[in-house]
Amino acid sequence: MTLSPAFVDYEFADRKELCLCAASASSRRVMIVPPLFDEMNRMRKMLVDVMRSLETMDIGSFLPDLPGSNESLIALEQITMSDWQNAVQACARQHEISHVASFRGGALVVAGMQTASHWIFSPVKGATILRTMMRTRVAADREAGLTTSLADLTAQAKTGSIELAGNILGSELFAQLNAAEIPDMKDQRIIRLESDGKPADAQIPGSALWLRAEPDDDPAMSKAIARDIAGWIGE
Amino acid sequence: MQNEVELTPEAAVRAVMRDILGLSEEQVAEFTAETELFGALPELDSMAVAGLLTELEDRLDIMIEDDEVDGELFETFGNLVAFAEMKVTE
Repeated sequence: MTLSPAFVDYEFADRKELCLCAASASSRRVMIVPPLFDEMNRMRKMLVDVMRSLETMDIGSFLPDLPGSNESLIALEQITMSDWQNAVQACARQHEISHVASFRGGALVVAGMQTASHWIFSPVKGATILRTMMRTRVAADREAGLTTSLADLTAQAKTGSIELAGNILGSELFAQLNAAEIPDMKDQRIIRLESDGKPADAQIPGSALWLRAEPDDDPAMSKAIARDIAGWIGE
Repeated sequence: MQNEVELTPEAAVRAVMRDILGLSEEQVAEFTAETELFGALPELDSMAVAGLLTELEDRLDIMIEDDEVDGELFETFGNLVAFAEMKVTE
């Protein structure tokens, strides 16, 4: 029995990065660009369930490791936003992908792919992601008897690397994320949760797994996402 | 594109608590003003609280400053809702 999804790779900056892949022989192929940092871990099972569901509809899917995350050999500290943007473009090129589904902060990473068709789930701006990570750091510092503020951390990140919620971010990545707004793509479909009041092309029932204290899945939501992606890609 | 829908502060706090704790709508509907949070719910650790604050900012379009966050805020569901209601009228 062949295990699916399975790992393939893509080449970026003279290195290979891993990419989880399901139904690679299909002519319809979508790249799944994950959320960033801890949100990625909390949503990975859900994303893989989406890939398995897409496979049953004969749609191929590719979930690349972003350089500096997951099994990547390079340290996150050396990574910039442009690295992530160039990496996903390299992955799309090498695996002949025209459709891109990005989740949460993943939408910031696909901003440069103006010619692709985009399906975007609950996009978030970079400053919001950083705010949660900085608050986690502030809480950890408080437990250690230190008083830190969001302003202190922002100032510290201007001059060097900074540790936030277990991630070491270089100064450039921090600045780029802090400035990264949700992109407005030429061809896009924005999906949000039913509980989210912000404008969207469609809403999906489910819960915000990126907030969950422990990583969890939501099979019904994964199926709903896969069905919506399949309808969007078409025949 | 569907238009923006206004959420009441209480509905937003309830929805975010539901997402963090992985509860059903019925379970979170049982939360009252006296329901104890921090300390009573082990899932609500400092990382979850960080996510909660940012998510409330995002859903209610408010900004929460460092010095507004103290232990009392997370003592009960009622305290958190009252805080959210105060912030949206600012």
